[in-house]
Amino acid sequence: MSSTSTEVHHGPKPYWNPYLSGIGLGLVLLLSYVIMGRGLGASGAFSSLVATGVSTIAPEHARANTFYNEYLADTTKSPLKDWLVFEVLGVLAGGFISGALAGRIKKTVEKGPRISVRGRLFFAFIGGTMMGVGAKLARGCTSGQALTGGAVLNVGSWAFMLAVFGGAYMIAYFFRRQWK
Amino acid sequence: MKNIFPKLSMNKKLALIAFVLGLTAIFAGNPYRGSSVTMDVKELALIIDKQADHISSEELAGWIIQEKSDFKLLDLRAEKEFNEYHIPSAELVPLAELNEYPLLRNEKLVLYSEGGIHSAQAWMLLRAKGYKSVYMLMGGLDEWTDKILFPKLAQNATPEQTAAFEKMKEVSKFFGGSPQAGGVVEEVSAKKSIPKLEMPSGTSAPTAGKKKKKEGC
Amino acid sequence: MNAPFFKYGLFGDDVSLVVAFVIGIGFGFFLERGGFGNGRKLAAQFYFNDLTVFKVMFTAIITAMVGIYYLSVIGWMDLSLVYLNPTYIVPQTVGGLLLGFGFVIGGYCPGTSCVSAVTGKIDGMVYLLGIVVGIFIFGEIFPLISTFYTSTPMGQITLSQLFNIPYGILVFAVVMMAIGGFAAAEWAEKKLGNKIVEP
Repeated sequence: MSSTSTEVHHGPKPYWNPYLSGIGLGLVLLLSYVIMGRGLGASGAFSSLVATGVSTIAPEHARANTFYNEYLADTTKSPLKDWLVFEVLGVLAGGFISGALAGRIKKTVEKGPRISVRGRLFFAFIGGTMMGVGAKLARGCTSGQALTGGAVLNVGSWAFMLAVFGGAYMIAYFFRRQWK
Repeated sequence: MKNIFPKLSMNKKLALIAFVLGLTAIFAGNPYRGSSVTMDVKELALIIDKQADHISSEELAGWIIQEKSDFKLLDLRAEKEFNEYHIPSAELVPLAELNEYPLLRNEKLVLYSEGGIHSAQAWMLLRAKGYKSVYMLMGGLDEWTDKILFPKLAQNATPEQTAAFEKMKEVSKFFGGSPQAGGVVEEVSAKKSIPKLEMPSGTSAPTAGKKKKKEGC
Repeated sequence: MNAPFFKYGLFGDDVSLVVAFVIGIGFGFFLERGGFGNGRKLAAQFYFNDLTVFKVMFTAIITAMVGIYYLSVIGWMDLSLVYLNPTYIVPQTVGGLLLGFGFVIGGYCPGTSCVSAVTGKIDGMVYLLGIVVGIFIFGEIFPLISTFYTSTPMGQITLSQLFNIPYGILVFAVVMMAIGGFAAAEWAEKKLGNKIVEP
């Protein structure tokens, strides 16, 4: 465990030893496999959300699109009554519980010292958009592909994981002003 | 080893545990279950005897019309025959590929082939592999063709039979068939023509396929 | 024991949603514990200052992998019933690159941005909005790229099948890779260290 954790802290508590958080996360993933036979996910829930939104505003348009229709095809239930949607609601709750217990809930913008808040939020939006497109193209995100597929030695997931780290390291230098 | 272990930092302990588990994995063997099977012969015999393993053409037609999505319909014939005609929402699973085809043990499976032999064989195979709710289409596609696509009404039919036929006509038309009353085909074409492979509007593609895809992230 | 429970029909769809929520809570909890709600900490991974992302992710992967492997070997779990996302190698690699860019530029991935947003990070909330817009864009251009999306299919395939290496040996190899990676990460952090321990 890192030495800092034994010191007395005021304010927010330090993060856990990464290996312990990792084991916790791994056990949750294992539990998901044992109970459900599937892993975790995140971006899929947002796909359901987007598909529902589009179909509310333009039902014809959504029906004609294979991608949206994938999430709307089962007409017997709402597309939001979906496993991943409920799982992500749990993620929000779990993140809040952990943050609250450690005194880490604070309205703030995470950024390096050399960038304005507005600039950071602009990049956050652009990054999120790229992530949205990338995650759908890859059929999953860091949770749904890398973690979940990684644990069952899925070929696509490992290729994806290498690409994520590769892509990030490739351009990290150019965006250093944002973080350092 | 005993004396050293407690003195290690936690990270090193964890690494050591991981290493031991990893090393053991080399010798632990294959995680996939083999193709050997077990079956409860008595139970199977009972089911067969009670005909609880069948569903009729009418029942299946009803399910499809009602857009029931809690079952998977499997066509066990060859691809060529499947392309010529198949029951709407059926998935092509040639018998040889049944072992590899992704099926869930908790879903209702309905099997059909030309007659009944292939589906009976597949039924046995799936039951033995632990699939609990497997059904065969009674009489196979032959009976489906006779009863659903081209239902006939005999000339000397009783009123009950006529009433049943009137009901069946709707079902038949839903599936693109042509009902035949009194030996005369109602439709213009006198020849029985197998309907084109267009799914009736409203009948969506098999749900299991959707489910599979959506399980990802 | 017959796992996966759901695939053996031990409970239905409605109960599965409750399970989803509970599992999600665990997922979100440990993400936050590890510091994944903090964009600075996540991005630090890509400047070698703080390799927490790598450590947490790979510890999670090997924990689950070893668990699944042993449960299957002793026969408590049927690995063939576990869902395997089909592989489409080229679109997945391209998607991964895009996702990597988005990670550095935006600072999060979908799961971590949820945790970030719910613990008050405004950049996390904006990022979530970005994801929704991104998925919408993908949906709108989907008809144009659907050929690419379904190109180079390899089916549901594991590394064990691809390289024809026994599953157990791969488990060992991945564990060794991870331990080696962790040792290297600890070393690099000491060298280049600028670890973000506090929020």
